[in-house]
Amino acid sequence: MNLDGSAVLHADPDRVWAIITDPAVLARTIPGCESLEQTGDDEYKMNVTVGVGAIRGTYAGEVKLSDQVRPSSYVMHASGAGGPGNVRATVTINLEANGDGTSLTYSADAVVGGPVAGVGQRMISGVAKRMAGQFFQAIDDELTGVVVPIEAAPSAVAAGEAAPAAAAPRVFAGKAVAAAPAVGGDVRTLLLGAGVGALLTLVGVAVGWRLGRNR
Amino acid sequence: MTTKLFGEPVRRREDARLIIGKGRYLDDIGSGALAAAFVRSPHAHARILDIDVEGALDVEGLVAIYTYEDLHGPMAEPLPVLIPHPQLTAPRTGYPLANGIVNHVGEPIVMVVATDRYIAEDICDRIAVTYEELPVVVGVDAAREATHWVHEDIPDNVGAIHHQETGDVEAALAASQHTLSFTQYIERSACIPMEGKGVHARWDADDASLRVYTSTQASTSVRAAIAAKLELSLDKVEVIAPDVGGGFGVKIVHPWPEELLVPLAAIALRREVKWTEDRREHFISSAHERQQRQEITVGYDDDGRLTALDVHVWHDHGAYTPYGIIVPINTATQLLGPYDIPVYRARINSVYTNTVIVTPYRGAGRPQGCYAMERTMDRIADALDLDRAVVRERNLIQVDQFPYDWGLTFQDGRPLIYDSGDYPGLLAKLKTLTDWDGFEARRAEAASRGKLLGIGMAPYVEGTGPGPYEGGHVQVLGSGKVLVSTGLTSQGQGHETVFAQIVASELGVPIEDVEVHTGDTRRFAYAVGTFASRAAVMSGNAVALAAQGVREKALRIAADVLEASPDDLEIDEGLIQVKGVPGTSIPLRTVAVLSNPLRYAFDEAAKQATQFAKAGSDDKPPVADGDAPGLEHTDYYSPIRSTFASGAHAAEVEIDPATWEIDVVKYSVVHDCGTVVNPMIVEGQVHGGVAQGVGGALYERMAYDSDGQLQNASFMDFLMPYASEVPDILIDHQETRSPLNPLGIKGAGEAGVIPGTAAIASAIEDAVGRRISSMPISPTELYDLVRNPEAERTATSRRRSGTGAMA
Repeated sequence: MNLDGSAVLHADPDRVWAIITDPAVLARTIPGCESLEQTGDDEYKMNVTVGVGAIRGTYAGEVKLSDQVRPSSYVMHASGAGGPGNVRATVTINLEANGDGTSLTYSADAVVGGPVAGVGQRMISGVAKRMAGQFFQAIDDELTGVVVPIEAAPSAVAAGEAAPAAAAPRVFAGKAVAAAPAVGGDVRTLLLGAGVGALLTLVGVAVGWRLGRNR
Repeated sequence: MTTKLFGEPVRRREDARLIIGKGRYLDDIGSGALAAAFVRSPHAHARILDIDVEGALDVEGLVAIYTYEDLHGPMAEPLPVLIPHPQLTAPRTGYPLANGIVNHVGEPIVMVVATDRYIAEDICDRIAVTYEELPVVVGVDAAREATHWVHEDIPDNVGAIHHQETGDVEAALAASQHTLSFTQYIERSACIPMEGKGVHARWDADDASLRVYTSTQASTSVRAAIAAKLELSLDKVEVIAPDVGGGFGVKIVHPWPEELLVPLAAIALRREVKWTEDRREHFISSAHERQQRQEITVGYDDDGRLTALDVHVWHDHGAYTPYGIIVPINTATQLLGPYDIPVYRARINSVYTNTVIVTPYRGAGRPQGCYAMERTMDRIADALDLDRAVVRERNLIQVDQFPYDWGLTFQDGRPLIYDSGDYPGLLAKLKTLTDWDGFEARRAEAASRGKLLGIGMAPYVEGTGPGPYEGGHVQVLGSGKVLVSTGLTSQGQGHETVFAQIVASELGVPIEDVEVHTGDTRRFAYAVGTFASRAAVMSGNAVALAAQGVREKALRIAADVLEASPDDLEIDEGLIQVKGVPGTSIPLRTVAVLSNPLRYAFDEAAKQATQFAKAGSDDKPPVADGDAPGLEHTDYYSPIRSTFASGAHAAEVEIDPATWEIDVVKYSVVHDCGTVVNPMIVEGQVHGGVAQGVGGALYERMAYDSDGQLQNASFMDFLMPYASEVPDILIDHQETRSPLNPLGIKGAGEAGVIPGTAAIASAIEDAVGRRISSMPISPTELYDLVRNPEAERTATSRRRSGTGAMA
């Protein structure tokens, strides 16, 4: 399935590139992100707990970046597997100057498998777009200073510090460390939803990925 | 014999269960199932620009949302054209969920699955679909004018031109002493079963098998359609019609989108999913029937005998043609009625409109045909100043003319040949029953009370029991219970009673021992369905043949035990005995035990069949060559062609010239459905049919506005006759056996509705002296008609002027 979307961010492409590739920022702007861990060159693991309506749950994913052309484009490869399903996605992100700001467009080609795939494409894409929207809003809030960044506790990564390749894994805590308890409803439905939600966060968030190396 | 039940008014065995709430209808199944609901088009013709589900995502209980994008393989293709026909040159069917375009209000666009129906509907409300509205075609005249097109690649809106003729009609008309030409209309109505459609699906992921319950008239074919569309092996799909609260035709159409989508969701989600149609959904997304514009030219002689009949019908088939042109063919071929018409031509343009699909509704094109023919007879009588009964009598096919071969093709693809009948007998009985000749005295009496009384009659012939086949399975258990199964479905007709009567009579067992199952593909996998008044003809004969097979085997085994010839045995009350030798007998249930040679005894009865219990021949195997264990038999009945039932109705209406209320004060029915299995059930069918006939004549219509919005899609606005509007019905019987099937049965299911509109139109015309050329007719329309100076006055009325019959 294909997911396309766009966002307008209130900063020039260079600044957008910088902020959306800051793991500390990402850890706190990705909806439901519990942790973000660098596992290698351009390779990361993350756990998210996301929920929209009946679609909520925890999901573990891996992300890899390629084809980086700063500050205009990159490609992200995301995959993950949880109890209720699995996902594989390739997302192309483009940044383009637009007046004082940046037009960001993304195009994702995702393969969703397992029971979670049974809930219908509109629903999956609807949740994905919402996640992406939340993410970009959070990013934009960072860019415009609405949110004052809180220093994430375990983050030793100071701005401008290059991430050494193959270094010991570094973990960035998100805001959603305490997983929200499942609310009411029946467990299977929630499980079903969990995979979708998590996957969508992955896909939506993928847009923002670009960590470490080129900073 | 005490077990002779065939032909008796046995009380319906299913009624106790159904009446006290022990029935098991679709919505009684799957209480824990997820619920499906649909976003349906609010526009009659539109392009779908966007489907936005954002607003629905926060609703607690949402499980899944499906649109066309979620359909793949055969599911992404249009629904099947169930009955292809060479003259259906431009068939069109919808998709299970709309693919970019919607062609009628109510077409499904999105399926929502949620934890319950309330939530599912709330979610539907929150899904925003954006449309680009397109020009709308509503009504048969708009389709005919073709200013706009329903399907952009069919610029004349014509899906099919059905054409049949028996000779050179134009030459015959030219040679006729008199001709008449006129155009008339009949409106849409619909089946409106008490229970709408419904589907429940359960997927067993470990077994990779699907069980579907659906409120259908054709479970075996739904099964095949689900297997084909969802790409499942047929053996992994079971379809069961549970108790069905009425069908009347609408549930013969299949697969409905929901019959595919609900199983699809059950498989995708690995959960039970159920959808139960609500009343508005039924009005706007099931099926309607009846609307036609009929252009008729008739030639006749001075005596009122027809010389030629030419009809050109414009038939509104709605947005799609899933059921082919069965309804137009029925109109074309059944219009002829009981009359001997030398030259006939029927042309039916079957046209698209942006309204709900048109598929058979009880009568299925025949009420329109009867209306065309009988109004023609009335006009000839009016023109020649003849009694309307006399004109009809002069044109009847006579008893010695059977089999009567029209040289036309019927809706089963077989020759239109009337197998048997006695039409003069019918009319004679009707005239007596309704006191036709004494009517003028009643008219005068009504006039003295200030009321207008009118009478009309309409005979009909109905092709019933079309093939290709039905089957029956009869099995006697060691307990003595007799299981009867047929794949054909039941919608409340009393099959549990009628088929039990047939089997009990054939087999010589008490009816209490007989248990009937229908419409369950687990029990009987080969079947066609319940439609065209065929259940008693088809499955009735099939279960009779199966019971005869069981009887034959039972007698053979019993003869061995009793050391008698099978010819000397009889079965009565479940006991096989030597005729004339009391005491020399064996119960049928014991024969059932003995029919299955056993090694293991699991109960007292089984001991009798074990290997040391009796001395068998050492030279023969326990199960003889060509034989099979068990006392059971399966057989099929496949008719050479349809059998033709007939009848005649007369309606008397009293009209109040202050309110123009039309009251059907007397309604007489003479019917002939061949051999009658259960006269009480046949009369029940007649009563129900007449009720729907009265509804179609006086109350029911689909009030589409010019935008294709159905304005009376509820029971508040759609008028149906109550018991207070259905007249007492006088019934007389005539029994002309069908020579085509062993039991001599003809169908009785639809007959009651066929002549209603024709007879009541005739009676109203007789009462008010104004030509009735559009049905149904309401008091308001009748008022407008009689007040309209332009309205055509009948010649009879002009002749009657001054008598006080009509001001």
